[in-house]
Formats: sequence, structure tokens, C-alpha cells
Amino acid sequence: MGATHNSINTGKPITVTIDGKVCKSTFGKTILEIARENDIYIPTMCYLTKVQPIGSCRMCVVNVEGVDGMILSCQEKAVDGAVITTNNEALFTERQNIMKLYDVNHPLECGVCDKSGECDLQNKTMEFDVDQQNFTARDQHRPVENWGYVSYDPALCIMCEKCVRVSTEITGDEALKVKFGGYGSTIINVKKEKNYASLGDAAAVCPVGALVSTHFKYTSNAWELNKIPSACPHCGGGCQMYYEVKRDRIYRVTNEYEFTNLCGAGRYGFDYANEGVSKDAEAFAKAVEAFKKAESVIVAPQISNEEALILQKLKEKYGFKLVSHEARAYQRFMRAYSEVTGKHLYGGDLKRLSESQAIIVFGSRVNNDAPTVKYHINMASKWHRARVAYMHPMEDAEMQHIVTQFIKYEVGSEEGVAALLAHTLLEHAELPQSVRGILDDLDIGNLSAECNVGEEELDALKRSLIKKHGFSLVVGSDLYMHPRAEQIAKLVALLETYAGFNVICVPPAGNAMGLSLICDLDDAAEGYTVGYDVKADFTLSALGNGDLDMPALNQQEGTLTTVDKRVVPMHVALPYGGYVLNDIANALGLRAKYTIDYTVQLPEEKGFVKTAFDDLPEYFDAVGTEHRGYLLNAQQVESGCELDEIEEIEAFDGAIVYRCDPVDQFSPFTAKAKLLEDEPVLLGSSQFAAAAKLKEGEHIRFEVDGVVFERLFKIDTDMKGTIALNPTFDMGLSSSLLSSYRFSRLVYEKINIGNNDE
Amino acid sequence: MGLEQFKNRNVGQQNYVMLDLEHTPQTGMGKFRQVVRRTFKAELFVGLWVTMREMINALFRGQMHTVKYPLEKLPISPRYRAIHEMLRLLESGHYRCIGCGLCEKICISNCITMDTRYDENQRKEVSEYTINFGRCIFCGYCAEVCPELAIVHGPRYETASEQRASFSLFEDMLTPIDKLNLQQEYDGFGAVTPNADENIKKTPLAY
Repeated sequence: MGATHNSINTGKPITVTIDGKVCKSTFGKTILEIARENDIYIPTMCYLTKVQPIGSCRMCVVNVEGVDGMILSCQEKAVDGAVITTNNEALFTERQNIMKLYDVNHPLECGVCDKSGECDLQNKTMEFDVDQQNFTARDQHRPVENWGYVSYDPALCIMCEKCVRVSTEITGDEALKVKFGGYGSTIINVKKEKNYASLGDAAAVCPVGALVSTHFKYTSNAWELNKIPSACPHCGGGCQMYYEVKRDRIYRVTNEYEFTNLCGAGRYGFDYANEGVSKDAEAFAKAVEAFKKAESVIVAPQISNEEALILQKLKEKYGFKLVSHEARAYQRFMRAYSEVTGKHLYGGDLKRLSESQAIIVFGSRVNNDAPTVKYHINMASKWHRARVAYMHPMEDAEMQHIVTQFIKYEVGSEEGVAALLAHTLLEHAELPQSVRGILDDLDIGNLSAECNVGEEELDALKRSLIKKHGFSLVVGSDLYMHPRAEQIAKLVALLETYAGFNVICVPPAGNAMGLSLICDLDDAAEGYTVGYDVKADFTLSALGNGDLDMPALNQQEGTLTTVDKRVVPMHVALPYGGYVLNDIANALGLRAKYTIDYTVQLPEEKGFVKTAFDDLPEYFDAVGTEHRGYLLNAQQVESGCELDEIEEIEAFDGAIVYRCDPVDQFSPFTAKAKLLEDEPVLLGSSQFAAAAKLKEGEHIRFEVDGVVFERLFKIDTDMKGTIALNPTFDMGLSSSLLSSYRFSRLVYEKINIGNNDE
Repeated sequence: MGLEQFKNRNVGQQNYVMLDLEHTPQTGMGKFRQVVRRTFKAELFVGLWVTMREMINALFRGQMHTVKYPLEKLPISPRYRAIHEMLRLLESGHYRCIGCGLCEKICISNCITMDTRYDENQRKEVSEYTINFGRCIFCGYCAEVCPELAIVHGPRYETASEQRASFSLFEDMLTPIDKLNLQQEYDGFGAVTPNADENIKKTPLAY
């Protein structure tokens, strides 16, 4: 796919003949792509649609009339009028010989191999009738290596290099490399100590059993597992996934690896189901009573669109306040945003992000907040050498190899930074008079001093955008919870409307976007509260520690709204024996047999389409176009942009903590997953330690928004500055009570724990 | 009693003997004559003598033809499909099963359940294996499909017991390690054919 982007004449219509079939297409596409568009089969071993052609297997060779020899169809662009043969005796023999070479010394351990049954090598060996071997090579000792989340068996490896490409071009961890050495070539992991969970995505594309997930290795045969299509509910990316289930247990998570990606959390954070629940009629009756007398209902964002709609309908009926802090902040941000753009959704999408040549990331530690967005930034960086400006108060070592310019700003100065960005990038844009006036009146010198963003940095940013096209802007959660979020939203929205930026406002974790679209949310809770996955006077919990059990998201049907503005279906992977929210709603006077009866009622004025759950499509076609659920329709809203003056920036001095989970942790649900083992520690630099007067290994207690954290402090030598990362994923039912700006000053007391253990 | 007649799978070449029987008389006179002849020929005593002779042979010459079941049992054909056995490798004593799961897959009554895991030696280990003998129809597919001759049918055909022992665990079926030297190779379903050697193709080794 990548190869098709940067070439002249791209898009010119052409006609080629493949195996006698006349195929119309456009210039810039490879022969293989055109063949697949037209349902013509060309066998491949190393081809992976989502990365650039690798060309290591030579299986895809074809004959082109008038050209001597065989042509690699995965790399060669089709020219107008070409006559192509994909199969004849010579090509068959060539392919058969390739398969024989792959089979040299390949261990005959299909009986125990995890890949057996879905193995490309098995399939193609059969397909090309390899019943005898004419080639030979001296075998070598190649021990199995365990790299943590994945393990690698070099004896099984066929060196197709797909995993290396995924690790480099997609996930961007750049851990896997090829160690060249003829027959002794292997894949090596140059960042073993990091143990990236994202290597699961590299393992997923392995055509043989060489690179496999360690937790799954040797636990089940592929054909025993029942594939249940679903969407990942963790970060709000809603990535496509399959739960692979046998005897009511999820053995592994896989995906349509040919076209889609899945981060470590999606792949390894699957065992969070609320198990062993039965119907507790007494607790149910109490829950119904609690809803009747509730003055506020607080919701965590880990719910489906349908559940959100049920809560909204209950709100309309009973008049309680509906509170979900992160979703509310996002809702307000997007409302202000839409006042400028005139559309109720942001305009960007991930595909255009991956095709951008210049990307600005603002107000999000994007590698932690939304891995799928980071992957798409990485694709742009690798395929189009995109300039990536990363604007944040903290540097991120994991983004270093992608980011071309790091712009550090002061904590709390996001409004000023947004104004500076708008001022810099909209210099020559045609703006309404009022906006132009405000931007021109900005005291740039003062602002840049207060934000600590140098004018020369902004100049460098502006210069780097010259002669580039396809700009993207990614903004994140730091801005939504900012006290001046609405003003920031308007400034950012100017870039979408007047500078043609592909803007993505990454929704906070879970289904916060769906919640913000479906529900009328309130700012603060009051009186008697009912919590859904949130600690309250009466708590419904899918974590199994509340007053009434609820199903986790892999135990119920429903839809999610994703960062790509898509509504995608989830299906039931594991059984659940208890009551669901729909039962409560029915007891309270709503009428629906199943939760998914609400799918068709999702609000059309918010862009949802009137489709029943069972009619939602769920597949990718031969060229990888996504037919999964539907895209939200951007609705026109009233626009009328009123910019305020930029407010004085509140200074944050001393030690600051930043609410941010480790990579692959998002919520109490990922915290429950056994394979994702992250320690909840306060992680800071030695500079932070000095500023906060803390030593490594000390335990401290501090409070944010009334939630008490007890944390062990650790020093990370990769980090700089006086900001420490404070995770929230381990806070269980309390984590969704946090409602303020992500940065806060650290006021702590030391506590003594853990010393008496040994 | 030898097993040779069972081992010979080629039914067509055995020696059958035609009995020389006279024709059944058709007329009334003919039938009358046959009765008179048989009555006065003293064949009764021939028969009594045969019985007497066999009794003497059995009791005093050790040629007993019946067995004292259940104290004694007749050997059965290796192709008989009774309760399964799990065999071990003769060299190492390790069980032969590699956990490939083919028996579980092929089982038409869904009575085999197995679980495997990645063990400390980076090998596939069978962590759980049961056969529900309440469901098993002894079709022999599991033994036939097994690539390692690990699961076989043993000679234990008495499946009645005082307890409802419908489940059988891996350990119950496995050859006890102290009786490894007594482990019998299995000749029934799934065993290598007598001419297996002829079918082997050699891989070229140029070095």
C-alpha cells in the first residue's frame, strides 16, 4: 500500500489484461494489487498488504508479454496495456521450487506447532504438490529464544521479514532486525530488555510458527478455537480483533493482521471478564431501588454505546444527573470545536494521518494514550518521511526515533501554545475579521516567554512545513481537562477550517467518544449516587467488586465509537450469568428484550446511522477496505466563532505529577489482565526526585481530586524534567473519579510500608 | 492358542475343507431307510466315545479346551478395540504423546479432552488428558490418527465396574513406569504396515 503513494502520474486510468481478464485500474498500483482488486489469485508468501512490498519470497512472479523473464508482481507497477499471465507450467515449477527451498530442513514438528492448520508453509507446500525434496543444506543448531511476550524459534523461521517490517513500519518499536548471514540469517531482537507488548503485532503476521505469543505457545491448536469477531474496548481506538475461545476460555486474541493493527493491550489484555456471576435477585432489587432514588449516576467510560443510550433514556425519565468526567470534558471540548468548524465531529481520520507529510502532536503523550494513533504517525514517518513535531511538557523516549522536532512548553500553558500555533500556521490564511483581529493582537513575545516556546522553534516548525502537503494535527487529553479547554478547542479548530489540517481529537480511553455523543452529561455529581464501574453509594461493577455485578465488555454485545469516527460491533466472547443494565432499565420502565435493541435507536442527529445491530457488516474485502460497522456522519451545527482573549498563564512550579498510565494500560480492566504486568509506581527523573525531595524506593501518599494515591517512587534514567508519571489504571473503581487537568502539583506525605515484609 | 490365524489378514488363502455330505432322501421310503440305518449302526456309541476321549484328554492329558473365565482369559486379536492405553518411549520412559490434538479432533463422539502447555524445557507438555468412556464408542480413530503410536487400544475389554468410572485420566492409561519392559507394541489400527520400509523416500544429502 505504501508504494502507491509517491509517484507521478498516479491516478491515471489504465487497462491491463490479467489471465485474459480485462482489468481497469489506475496507474501507481502494482500488478498484485490490481489482480486482487479483480479477484485474481497470485500466490505470495512474504507479501503483507499493510506494509510496503518486501519481495523476499519471489512467489508472486508473473509473466508479462514482451518482457523477458519473470516479474515480481508485488513490486512492479502495472503499465497501461500490459498483458499478464499469472500461471503457467514454468511459473508453477518456479513456485514449486521456492516451496521446496523453504521446506529444506524445516522441522517436521507440525504435530506440536502452534501454526499448524493455519500455516502458510503447510498450505503452499500442499498447493504446489511438493512430494519430494531435491535440495539440501547442512542444518545448524538454532536454539529457541524467549523474548517475553513473544518467543522466536529460528529453526522454523523462513525469513520472510514480515515481522521486521511490522516492527519498523507499523508499531515503530524497531525492536526486530534481520541478522544477515546467508543460510544462517535470523531475526534478532535488539531491544530485548524492553519486552515490548507491541511485538505481538509482529508475531501475528508470522506465516509459520517461528514468532509466537509466549502465553499461547503450545496451549491449543488453531482449529480448536472459535473465532469471535469484536472490537478492542481499551483505548478508544476500537481496533478490529478476534477473541479465540475454547471451552469458555479466551486462549488468545488475533486480528485481521493483513490490514489492521492491534497494540499490546488489545492483544494481551483480554482476561478481564467478570466470571462466576449468577443472578442475585436481592442485589438486583436494591439496584432498581437505588436508580429510583438516585440523584446522580456516575459512569466510567468503559461501556458500550447501547448502555450509554439506556442511561440517557433513564436520565430523561428519572431526571438524575449523568456524570462521566472524561467524556464530559471531551464533550465540551468538541462542542467548542464544532462552533468553529460547523461540524460536530473532528475532520481527521487515521488513514489520512498515515499519509501525512507533516504531523503535529499536541497535548497528548500519544504513545501511552492511543497506541493506534502513534502507529499511524509512525507509518507516515516511515513511508513519507513525515516531519513530526511533538509538543508536550515532557519528552517521550519511545517517540524519539519518530519525532523530528520536540517543542517543550510549560505545564498549564496549552492555551498560549495553541494561540502561538494558530498565529504561526495561519499567518497567510484567510480568516474572519474577528479571529484575525485577535490573532494579530497577540503579544507573541510575551506568550512565547510564558509558554517557554521559542519563536525560533515556531519558525523552524513553519519552515519544515514548506513544500509539504498533507498536514495532520493530533490533540489529546491534556487539553480536554484544561481549565481553558473551550478556548483551546476553538484555536485548534481554526487549523482544521482555515489551514486544511487533518485534525484528530483523540478521545480519552474507553468509549468516552460514544458517551459524549449519546448522553447529556452533567459536570458534577450530587446527592445519592449510583456508579457504573465507579465507586458510589450504590455501585454496579463489571470488575466484580460492586454491589451488583455487570458484564465486562467481552461478555456483552454492543457497539463502540472509535477514534476513526466509526461505530463498530462487539460480540460475546465469554458467558455471563448475571443481570445486565438492560434488565435494570426494563425494571425501571423501559422496554427492550436485548441491549442491542437500542443500536437502531442511537441518535441520528449525532451522526449515528439507523441500523440494527445484526445488520452491521464486519469484514475486510480483498484489497483491505474496511466494512466494519459504519462511519459516523458529520452533522452540520451552528457555527459562530467567538474567541476570547488569552488568559494569564498559571505557573506550575516545583514537582508536578502527570496522570498517565504505562504503555498498554488504560483502565482497571487492563490492570486485571494477567499478561499485562505493569507496576503502578510513580516514575520520575532524578531531577524530579531532587525537586520533590524524594529518594528512589520511598513510599508516598498524595491526593488528586479526592482520590488518594499511595505510590512507590522510582527513578527512570530515560526521563528528564520535574514531571513524574502517575498511573491510574490500578485505582479500580476510583480511577474514573478523576476530573481535573492531567498535571497537578505534588503535595505528599511519606509513609512507611513494605519494610516489614521480609 | 496361537495368534497366527488372526495375524494372517489375507482371508482368501486359508484352507477350507468341503464336507462330504450325502443327499437328503426325497421319498418316504428313503427317509425310512435312513432312520433304520442310523438306529442300528450303533453310532450312538461312537459319539459317546468321542465325549469320553475328550474328557480323558482334558482331565488327565492337559488338553482342556475351555478357559476358566474370569480367572483365565483368551488372548484377543490385536485388532480388537478395547480400553485405550498410553504408551511410553522405550528408551527414555517419557510418554510418547506429543500433544498434537489430532485424537481430540478426530473423535466422533467428542469424548477426548486435552490441554497442553509450554513447559520449562520449552517443549509441549500434556497437562490434562481424559477420555470419557461413557461416551466412547471404541471406533479406533484416535489410535489410527495418532502419529506417534502413543494412544492405542489395549486388550482390557471388561468395561463394567462397581463404580461409575466413566472418565479415565492420562495417568490411568499410561504404561506404569516400572512395567515399561512389559509394554507391548500395538499391531492394530494405526500401526505401521508390514511393508512400511518399502514406501520410504530418502532425502538427498549432498554434503
